[in-house]
Amino acid sequence: MSKLITSRRGLLKGAAAGGLLAASPLVSRYAQAQSSAPIRIGFQQHSTGIGAAYGRWYGRTTEAAAKAINDAGGINGRPLEIVAEDDGTDPKRGAEVVEKFANQHECDVAFGTLFSHVVFGSAPAAGELKIPYFVVSEGHHVASGALNRYTLQPGITDVKSQVQAMAPYVSQNLGKKVTMIFPDFAFGHDHRDFFTQAIEAQGGEVLEHIAIPPTETSFTKYFPKIPRDTEVLYHVMVGPAVLTFVKELGEFFGPSAPAIFGFIDSLEAVDMSSPGLEFLDGTYFWEGMPRYAQADQTEYDKAFRAAVGVDENGASVSDAKDVSTYAHMFGCWETLYIIKRGMEASGYAGPQDRAKLIEAVEAMSAMDEGFEHPQGPKIFNGKTHQTFGKQYISRVENGRMVRVHSTSIEDTFYPDEVDYTAQSF
Amino acid sequence: MARLIGILGLALVWPELALAHAGDQGFVLLLPTDVYAGAGVAVVALTVVALFALPDRVSLAMFAARAGKARRDWQGARDVTSVLSFLMLAGIVALGMAGPRDPLSNLMPLTFWTLGWVGVVTLSGLIPGLWHWVNPWTGLYHWLAPGWRIRPLPARWGLWPAVLMLIGFAAFLLADIAPDDPERLAVFVACYWAAIMGAVLISGESVLNQVELGHAIMGAFGKLTWGKSEARGWPGWQITRADPMAASGAFALTLLAVGSFDGINETFWWLAQIGVNPLEFPGRSAVVTQTLIGLALSIAGLLAVFLLTLWLGVKIASAQVDFPRLVGHMALSLLPIAFVYHIAHYLTSFLVMIQYTVAALNDPLNTGADLFGIEPFRVTTGFFNRLDWVRVIWLTQAGLVVLGHVWSVLLAHRIALDHFERGRRAALATLPLSLFMIAYTLLGLWLLAAPRGA
Repeated sequence: MSKLITSRRGLLKGAAAGGLLAASPLVSRYAQAQSSAPIRIGFQQHSTGIGAAYGRWYGRTTEAAAKAINDAGGINGRPLEIVAEDDGTDPKRGAEVVEKFANQHECDVAFGTLFSHVVFGSAPAAGELKIPYFVVSEGHHVASGALNRYTLQPGITDVKSQVQAMAPYVSQNLGKKVTMIFPDFAFGHDHRDFFTQAIEAQGGEVLEHIAIPPTETSFTKYFPKIPRDTEVLYHVMVGPAVLTFVKELGEFFGPSAPAIFGFIDSLEAVDMSSPGLEFLDGTYFWEGMPRYAQADQTEYDKAFRAAVGVDENGASVSDAKDVSTYAHMFGCWETLYIIKRGMEASGYAGPQDRAKLIEAVEAMSAMDEGFEHPQGPKIFNGKTHQTFGKQYISRVENGRMVRVHSTSIEDTFYPDEVDYTAQSF
Repeated sequence: MARLIGILGLALVWPELALAHAGDQGFVLLLPTDVYAGAGVAVVALTVVALFALPDRVSLAMFAARAGKARRDWQGARDVTSVLSFLMLAGIVALGMAGPRDPLSNLMPLTFWTLGWVGVVTLSGLIPGLWHWVNPWTGLYHWLAPGWRIRPLPARWGLWPAVLMLIGFAAFLLADIAPDDPERLAVFVACYWAAIMGAVLISGESVLNQVELGHAIMGAFGKLTWGKSEARGWPGWQITRADPMAASGAFALTLLAVGSFDGINETFWWLAQIGVNPLEFPGRSAVVTQTLIGLALSIAGLLAVFLLTLWLGVKIASAQVDFPRLVGHMALSLLPIAFVYHIAHYLTSFLVMIQYTVAALNDPLNTGADLFGIEPFRVTTGFFNRLDWVRVIWLTQAGLVVLGHVWSVLLAHRIALDHFERGRRAALATLPLSLFMIAYTLLGLWLLAAPRGA
């Protein structure tokens, strides 16, 4: 389809140039330069700092998407050029990078940020410089209304909807009496607040909230706090001590553990067959996109893996132990395609059309599963600048994660908290 | 609020420069590092005990040099390589200014930090006189203005200017918010090159040894090599012959303090001290002041502890010594520790960054070129996902740290023989320093094993 459009547009372009050529060589050369100048996408990449492991895979995915788009004719007949700048996973540098995109590198849009504090630090700069800022962060910050009209998250769902969508499956299949173990800071608190509310809405309850200090590296002493009648243990530990956490949890419970449910963020980019993780067999994980190719793998997932260079276990095709950040990185791919669609719908020609581009994206709603959306179908909410989509629950079986449930998109909805379209440009 | 994604691989922050990476820490925490560390400390402690039984002649023989024939003068060849090095530097500075913006694709930061700061500095402790071959000043100077100078730097300044330069460099390495930004680094390097070239033209070539950091650092580590053809011996022998100057000692101490703080500042422990959640590191820009304070405290703290151990040693041995001379000389015995710290600290990041360097050499302008025909070349960190590899890497790092401390203990004892009465008194005089080195072994091994979050 896109190939067809491209070739037709290519013909038109050729015809126009030909006509102009007859009239005025100078004008024609200018028009030609205008039409073929690349669209520059500023890629705010976590090349260094604590986000570097994600940054590497976001980079690979972004490159793959840009190549796919260019191979199919680019955007509005113009090639896509990715201008990657390192933000050091640092909010202050993030803002500087956005400024560079707008003022120095002549980028059309900024894109790609993952870590929330960098998004928070950079979004005001995007708003001031009036450059569309497409984040791939999962944070609830966009939909919460804390940012601005120039900041959008159309390619990845937010944590609030993810957590909330887990509650129906957990309460119906794993149990209604939940104990939550989470790191004692904002990330853990989000899970605590969103999930507690959601499980109560399903008629369940959280028996105990166990907050672990972020500097903790040994966890056994916290486990006796888990109430005996716990049916489900919900964990979202992150950081270098995660493997230790799982190992100690296994030693504590032995074979008689309650059902265990976690977020794959804990083990993103970690090989599930790593030592100490055997205990996870039979436990459940939220996945943004199933890391292991499933029995009913779509052709879109297959194509996405091939483009990025990832095998059926979610690892690099050149090193089976180099595990990708598969649950998140699709967001870069899908966001680039949304930018493309937005630019095509708005007839985007240059920075003067940035507002039109944002309006075009705001006007989007349903996005069908396909090559452009390999993670699954989505519904974009133009008012909150946030996309909503299916979530997946997988069970660890013999060191692989097997999908056991897909939520509906509706499971992820919550009432709007902002209407960015009411803000002026 | 927001979702902040943590990952096992919070990693080594590359100066933590571009090296930021790698999920090995999760696996390191699974290793019995306390057992390994115990064994390592025991090795150093046994070495200290053995000093009391070690005959002086063994110690003297250990660091004795064998005279050899001086080979031909290589200065002409060194000028050629130096000029080539300058041209290469000019090339990568240009790349830094105009090349790819991503530090992992740009040869400016990759060459400077990975090949230079990690690679060449490491090699300088193994290959005698390396920096004389590859520094980007001497060749040009010899060709364009040989012998030219207006006013030399006072000799009594010794290495003090280099000490200040080292502190400045450490501040850039550890506290600057973007030391690996290609353009920023290119400007920094170009200005540094020009400033040093200017200093050489004003004060002559000798200024390089007093001011220039490459000469100072690689000169210090170069003393750990077996030596040139004129005289060769067991690594460290050159230190026993070194002219004991307070400034050289201060430089060695600063080098070790910087290397140590470069590990400390990433640990959960340090982050807790400065009130930063290690799972939610706010970025380098948020901790600039704290890092500078930590750096200053490390340098001052190490200096104070070192002086105290020497003073105690002198007291215990009831010896009459020239104390400043003793300090200047004994501080050089810490160079092996500083050297192995440098290698051990950067080993993991080097394994990743060297891949990026190869990729960037293959495609210097990030235009999709494939100069070596190695595409598709994909950087991997998969070896950090394997316990067996992580164990090998960790034990290599730990082995280096232990080796460096044993080396330093032996060297300190040998130097003491020149300042104290021989026999047990020298061993007694260095006992506090030896105990300090045992403790430092523990610190080094703890740094390798500690959870990191910055």
